[in-house]
Formats: sequence, C-alpha cells, structure tokens
Amino acid sequence: MAELVGVFGVPHNPLLWETLRPPYPDDLERAAENFDRFSGLIQDSGAETLVIVGSDHFRRFFFDNSPAIIVGKAERYPTGYPNEIRTFGIEPNEVAGDVAISEAILGTTNLPGNFDLGMSNEWLLDHAYSIPLRYLTPRHDLAVVPIHTNCNMPPVPTARRFVELGEYLRTAIEAAPVDRKVAIVTTGHLATDLGGPKQFLGGASPDAEFDAQAVEWMRTGSIADAIDGCGFERLVNAGNVTLQFMNLLTGLAAAGGRPATFAEGTASRYAAMAFFHWDTPRSGR
Amino acid sequence: MSRYEVNKIMAYVDGDPEPLEQFSADPAGFVDAWERRATETHVPSLDAGPLTDEERKAIIDLDYGALYAMGAHPYLLIHFARAVECDARGANFATWKEEYRAQVTPHGYPPFFT
Repeated sequence: MAELVGVFGVPHNPLLWETLRPPYPDDLERAAENFDRFSGLIQDSGAETLVIVGSDHFRRFFFDNSPAIIVGKAERYPTGYPNEIRTFGIEPNEVAGDVAISEAILGTTNLPGNFDLGMSNEWLLDHAYSIPLRYLTPRHDLAVVPIHTNCNMPPVPTARRFVELGEYLRTAIEAAPVDRKVAIVTTGHLATDLGGPKQFLGGASPDAEFDAQAVEWMRTGSIADAIDGCGFERLVNAGNVTLQFMNLLTGLAAAGGRPATFAEGTASRYAAMAFFHWDTPRSGR
Repeated sequence: MSRYEVNKIMAYVDGDPEPLEQFSADPAGFVDAWERRATETHVPSLDAGPLTDEERKAIIDLDYGALYAMGAHPYLLIHFARAVECDARGANFATWKEEYRAQVTPHGYPPFFT
C-alpha cells in the first residue's frame, strides 16, 4: 500500500524564476531557506511521487472548457508555456508521471463515489507546477500527479469542497495498491492581487489581516474556522487571486486537519508567500 | 458585453509570440481579422470571436481602465497589458505598472465572472 509521507503548501509566483537564484537577494533569503528546508524534508521522507494540487492559469483549462477539479493521468508531463518563457524566463522541462497513483485517485472504470473528477491524459503544466518542482525537486527526479482546481474562473468550488478534496486524497493515496511513498504539495496564495489596484505593492500585503489569520488556521489546525473565513467575497476582497488560497486548505485537510509543523507567511518584495508543512502519521496508526 | 470574448482575445495575444507581435504592430488590423474569422465558420475557436463596439474600442485603444471596468479578468488583463507594453513595445515594467495602477484604481473591484 502507498504511504502519505508529507504534506506541503508552497508559493508559485512565476517572478521567482528569475529572482530566486543564488546569490539570493536579501529579501528572498528566507524564501530560499524555506524551499530548501522543504526540499530536504521531501528527500528525507523518501517520497517517490508528488501529488501537486494547484490551479492552471488559463492555459490548459480556459473559460471554454473549465473543469472544477481535474487529475492528470499521463506517463510524462512537459512544462512551460510560450508566454511564461517570454515574460518570466521560465525554462521548459519535462517530468515523469505516476499512472498508478493517478488511477488510485481517479479509479479506472468508475470515478470514486464522492468525487466527480475530470481526467487529463495529456497536459502541458504551467508555473503552478513548474515553480514548486524547480525548488522542491531541483533534479526533477520525482514522479508527479498534477491536479488542477478551478480557483480562477468563477464559479469556483467552495472552501468546504477543497477540504473534502484533501480528505479524499489522503484516503485514496493510502488505499493505493502499490508500494509507493507519496507527498502532497499544495500551492496557492496568501492575500494576492494581480491586475487590480493592490497588485505589486513592493512587499506590503494587500490584506495583512487575512494573511495573519490564514497562517494561524494552519498553525493551529483550525479547519472549521478556515472554511468560515474563506467565503468567495472575503477571499476576493483580500486580493483578486487569493481564491487560490483554497488549495492550501486541501493541504491542511490532507494532513488530517492537524496543526502544521511549519507555518509561515514569508515576507519579501512580493506579497507574502505561504510556506506550510505537515507531518503525516498514517491514518489509523 | 461578453467578458468571455474579451478574455479570449487577451489570452490569445499573450499566449504566443506571433499573435503578440501582430497585435502590437497593428491592433486594429489584428482585431479586424479576429472578428472576420469568427464569421467564416460556425465552429467556435480560441482564435476568433465577436466583440461589441465598446469592447473593440477598448482593445484597440489599449484602454486598460475600460477593460478592467467591464470585468475583464484581472489576471488575464495584466498579463495581456504587460505582454504588449513591456515585452513587445519595450516599456520598463517598474514604471509602467504604476501607469496601469492609475488606470484601474478608480474602478475598484468590478465583478469578473463570465
């Protein structure tokens, strides 16, 4: 049976691709340290596969075809869209998939009872996936199962649904009939605005109160409070892409709603970056 | 108006080098071809679509404040605008982003669902 060996929450700001590299600028040293810490934790855990819960940015899934939640099932995933390469200098790459874990999540002939998930057999991954992979697995030597959640194109799933997704992923991974160590990586934002009046404030948060509350939910393992605090209007008021914070709720729930072993909103020239980690004692142990 | 059609043309221009180059060189010509293609087939496509007079004018004039106020998706809007102004036309991002902010700020946070 597969084993869930860790759950993480990380940022995926594409501007990091060119700025978060040695020698690290003073304001990004802490982010580099956090990514290194998490990369070490993944290595120490023996994880062979990363299930990455993120939100594609209108490239693979656009308004003409927008699933609520969709799971990759492919042998390989290329990364890097032309606009990301042009604007952010992101280099294209390719990572291996893990079809057995995809099947554990999706089923093969019928979908799981409580989740009508979409499936993708061919998927060019964007920076929601390539940024975490670059810093968590610099050698790109772990297999990946990407999951896209629609946090960008309303109507979006509710916060409660993101929690249920996390609970489901833990159960499905632990029931997978393969010998595999799996970590879940969730990626999203604290208060972040893009395209609106509060974008690019030079390190000031568009909503410091939300950031502090969000980190506290993770530090204390307060799922019910987090669901209450993540209504659509509240999240958008914190910045128009803050809806992606809900991916991090999936992480909290996948870890059984336990207090994070590490929870920080890391300050830099950018909006605060979410770095969360949970240990994952096996269910029922 | 259709926020979907506005989002579609912005994402298309930002998405690949050729459309970005074509649009940046001749916005009116690009938009004309975009709308014409939509009349040539009944099959929906991500490289063609109809626009209202208001949408067409805002896109051709690169009126980011007007597009924002209409409910164009802010993520797609900033990336479209940055692609045209900075990547294609060479504006300095650090200074240009403040011009963008001045254009959208009066409009607050309009709804952007499609």
